[in-house]
Amino acid sequence: MNLYSYILRRLLYVIPVLLGVCFLIFIIFNVVAPDPAYLLLGRHATIEQIATLHRELGIDRPFWEQYLAVVKTAFTFDFGYSWSSKQQIWEMIKAGAGPSLSITVPLFVITNTIAISIALLVSFYRGKFIDKAVLLISIAMMSISSLAYILFGQYFFAYKLGLFEISGYEPGFPHFIPYVILPIILYVAISWGPDTRFYRSVILDEVYQDYVRTARAKGVGELSIMFKHVLKNAMIPILTYVIIQIPFLILGLLLAEAFFSIPGLGGITIKAINTSDFPVIKAMTILSAVGFIIFGVITDVLYTVVDPRMRLK
Amino acid sequence: MKMRNILLVMTMVITTLLTGCAKKQDASERVLNIVSPAEIKGFDPIMADDLYSGREIGKIYEGLLAYHWLKVPYELVPNLAEAMPEVSKDGITYTFKLRKGVVFQDDAAFPNGKGREVEASDFVYSIKRLADSKSQANGWWILDGKLKGLNEWRDKNEKLPVTNYAEEVEGLRAVDKYTLEFKLAKPFPQFLYALAMGFTSVVSKEVVEKYGKEFINHPVGTGPYILPKFDQGKRITYTKNPTFREKFYPSDASPELKGLLGDAGKRLPLVDKIVVHVMVESQPAWLKFNKGELDYYSIPKDNFASAIKNNTLAPDLSAKGINLIIAPQLDLTYTGFNFDNKLFHNVKLRRAMALAFDEAKSNELFYNNTSFSAQGPVPPGIAGNIKDYKNPYKGPNLEAAKKMLAEAGYPDGKGLPEILYDIPDSTTSRQSGEFFQKQMEQIGIKIKISASPWPEFQAKLKKRGGQMFGLAWGADYPDAENFLQLFYGPNSSPGSNSTNYNNPEFNKQFEAAVMMQDSPARTAAYEKLNKFLAEEVVVIFNMHRQAYTLQQGWLKNYHNSDLSHDSYQYLDLDTAKKEEMLKKF
Amino acid sequence: MTTATETMNLTVPKKQKASKSLWQHAFSTIVKDKLACTALIVVAIYFFIALMTFLGIIANDWGATVGPSYAEPSADYIFGTDIFGRSVFLKMIKGAETAVAIGLVTSAISLVIGTTLGALAGYFGGLIDELVVWFYTTFSSIPFIMLLVAIAFIMGKGTSTVFISLGVTSWVGLCRIVRGEVMKHKDREYSQAASALGAGHLRKIFKHILPNISHVLIINFSLTFESAIKAEVILSYLGLGVQGRPSWGTMIDDSKLELARGVWWQLGAATLAMFIIVLAFNILGDALRDALDPKLKGK
Repeated sequence: MNLYSYILRRLLYVIPVLLGVCFLIFIIFNVVAPDPAYLLLGRHATIEQIATLHRELGIDRPFWEQYLAVVKTAFTFDFGYSWSSKQQIWEMIKAGAGPSLSITVPLFVITNTIAISIALLVSFYRGKFIDKAVLLISIAMMSISSLAYILFGQYFFAYKLGLFEISGYEPGFPHFIPYVILPIILYVAISWGPDTRFYRSVILDEVYQDYVRTARAKGVGELSIMFKHVLKNAMIPILTYVIIQIPFLILGLLLAEAFFSIPGLGGITIKAINTSDFPVIKAMTILSAVGFIIFGVITDVLYTVVDPRMRLK
Repeated sequence: MKMRNILLVMTMVITTLLTGCAKKQDASERVLNIVSPAEIKGFDPIMADDLYSGREIGKIYEGLLAYHWLKVPYELVPNLAEAMPEVSKDGITYTFKLRKGVVFQDDAAFPNGKGREVEASDFVYSIKRLADSKSQANGWWILDGKLKGLNEWRDKNEKLPVTNYAEEVEGLRAVDKYTLEFKLAKPFPQFLYALAMGFTSVVSKEVVEKYGKEFINHPVGTGPYILPKFDQGKRITYTKNPTFREKFYPSDASPELKGLLGDAGKRLPLVDKIVVHVMVESQPAWLKFNKGELDYYSIPKDNFASAIKNNTLAPDLSAKGINLIIAPQLDLTYTGFNFDNKLFHNVKLRRAMALAFDEAKSNELFYNNTSFSAQGPVPPGIAGNIKDYKNPYKGPNLEAAKKMLAEAGYPDGKGLPEILYDIPDSTTSRQSGEFFQKQMEQIGIKIKISASPWPEFQAKLKKRGGQMFGLAWGADYPDAENFLQLFYGPNSSPGSNSTNYNNPEFNKQFEAAVMMQDSPARTAAYEKLNKFLAEEVVVIFNMHRQAYTLQQGWLKNYHNSDLSHDSYQYLDLDTAKKEEMLKKF
Repeated sequence: MTTATETMNLTVPKKQKASKSLWQHAFSTIVKDKLACTALIVVAIYFFIALMTFLGIIANDWGATVGPSYAEPSADYIFGTDIFGRSVFLKMIKGAETAVAIGLVTSAISLVIGTTLGALAGYFGGLIDELVVWFYTTFSSIPFIMLLVAIAFIMGKGTSTVFISLGVTSWVGLCRIVRGEVMKHKDREYSQAASALGAGHLRKIFKHILPNISHVLIINFSLTFESAIKAEVILSYLGLGVQGRPSWGTMIDDSKLELARGVWWQLGAATLAMFIIVLAFNILGDALRDALDPKLKGK
């Protein structure tokens, strides 16, 4: 099979997965979720108003029509309007993406840089004191709840020490910087541990390969083995791991956005859940599912470009 | 390792620099910083049915009437109307003269971007918009069935593809440019309160048509503040409306608010800018307030007990000049029965449960003993509440409760099925649910608690599925009718009567009472209904709660007034004092 | 693949013994490792405490008022008291029961779903494999939080919802690994030998293949266990947490407002209790992997 037909086949596979995602979304929000009309119409709702709203929202139509509507949304990305804020959902996503990305992108870059550097360092000194110490610290830091990090970090660093803004956001570069520093620091602290451990094990997997032994036997220096051979080969799983994180960047950080009042997509999602704003929840779900699927395809394709044997699987 | 240290130091330096760069608010600028603990639904007056959206609407939009800022209890005063209306003898026709020279805020929807003068026809349009079934207004209930011909107009247009706003409605007429006439379907004096609510604020047809569905994000009113930009963000910044009419701070006040007359006669609004920080989490709001970055902070009801201990401020807060204000609210918490269950038609069972409930203890646990015991539905501060009345069926009186339960036919709870008790899922609801369960256990009644998220809880009530539930009601307007209607049969679920109580005799007397003009006779009728419901134990009446507000020493003119959603124009800051006091923070 | 699997290949009839020696080896490795040994003891202590509270022997009166509300930690109240004057220490102890229960049930559910689907897909391949892969790809494309909300919609709220939602959302990783492992193993000689001896499909999967990949299951079990304990905090924050009894998640959630008043002991106690068991599980998980995964042996 050549590369192009592989890519094509991989892309076609997106369709059944997307249909499946639509089906799950449909089951969740059109079948089992509580009737949103009561919440949307407030405490003085009348029967007549509820019926009108059902008609307008299209939730009085047969299930198959409702399912088709979900499918249509997923393929056209025409999400329509929010039920609670009446805004166009695309506009909401556009407005929320910036603030979310202003945290997640730096976070992503910093965390991965730190994690890969530390992983390289400790696999160089594997089994020595520094390796064990770093592992222990990373495990220890992973063992604390992210909510505890946020509560404590906000109280101590922002309030007690006054180093950072307590909460808030100002759109536009560079105004947002003071507001995102603390959340980024906290989340780097939360997430460098698992990343470092993953990269370390990936690198160690390579270190024990036969070719490394051969290279060493040939008298190649440790440093050059590390960078020329090990890192090069470990790049595939590392890249996969990095790329698959990308679609999640746009979703933002649910907890951090709530606590630091950042107007991002995480906050939009939470708000939508609390107000039963189903079109927004559906849009966010579809968006992230599509992102996840597409980046899944990208990693698969990259894999096969690097290692053609994978194509056959 | 050295490299790492250097990097660390560098990061620290950069961090400090950047933080230092953050726009520090100039203390001399008169900016009011407040918090909204809930997301704002948007700026369409006809949709703003929750407290927090209502407060945002009130900064921009205005209606014919408003509440006097310094009068307790609430008193209606003309706002966009020149004076209070002329009411015909039969209580049917209300004629308003409009204030002249009121203009809409400048917006691109108007020719040359200049806001035009408000006319009577704008009110006609705004109210029709509220009635238009296509706008799905949350506030329609306040006029449902109230104005002559308006319901017919609504029903007729529902079927048309485009609502015909040109068609005349008998009960809603612009007599001339500055005269507006309402004709009611039947006498209903509470109608005036509807005109002080955000729902009936005046909007301009040009703006609504220009922005269409997006109108909700482009508010253009007549009020003291404008919103240059709204992006559903977490920070909403209002600035003074440059074309706001001449309006002045009131110079008369109720005795208890005489202290707030310092700014009497000054032109409104008093502060240049209002910044609303949307903070759904309590911790950041609380910390920000403690840092002096917010001017006042109303503590969410769920957090009273954990936020403030013994109703006194911690010494470090009082040292900063922060005050705690505890003020009565027009609300009622109750434990309801769903009368669709025949079980609860047994009045003795209801009385037995009410007698077993120790409300004083629950007040102590959840509200620091600051709530008032509710004897009946009508809270103190409005006509219909009976001073010094003691409901004979209020606990805790276990002896009487057990006796009553036996009389009801369930001695020691024998023969009584387990009763399902629905509550929303907040921490406080959960705890008070467990408390209720324990109380009922004492006389042998078994309660099963079921907590659901708010949307689901709401749906359960509206579908009439449950047995018992815990609920609170906050007044829409200061009239006993708003509380008594909670038990009016035709309002049954999905209306506001979640108990589905339907007593023809009560319905009849209620209908008669609400048609009466404010008078001693009406007060007597309200009191009679109040007492009737109390002794019927139509629900277990719990409490009338109070509001907790923390206020910085430099904030002027603040007092808690739940119904005045336009209060911001009266607030002021003592900037010199703020600068001085901030040194202590 | 290194020697361990080859020994297994050679000893088909006495497979049981061969895998035991792997386990024995693992056990002796862990006992030798002081850190892992301590972690094992810590986990055992937590399980013991959980069992004791479950049986009502200790911390049964956690709901009782023992002092004023929000008393600071002192000799009388080890970790202070909460809003109702209950002992934070007892709540923390009682919380261990909730945490262990969540960990166990969640990992059990994810183990059952993940192993079954993974083994079926890997073993039978073809259409079944396609279906299972399609299902978990679809499932994992939907953000975790939406699934949690959905399960809360269906089941209402309560402790069982917490168990099920965490279990149902955490099986995908395991399923993937099991599928891959089973694929590798089904063509190995020992399993071919088993079919030559007339073993049926199910017997082959459960009797022959799964025991050979049990180390994967064990490692995954310990991972799911600790991440479930951590996830419970987020569920509590979303209002989907455990009801009617204390949990570390609700304690941390309660401290949202308390901390600003300077009441740090609920947050502190719950974080500490959670920190120790999650740390122990992580260390144990690492040690198990080192001991059980032949590929990593000797590193």
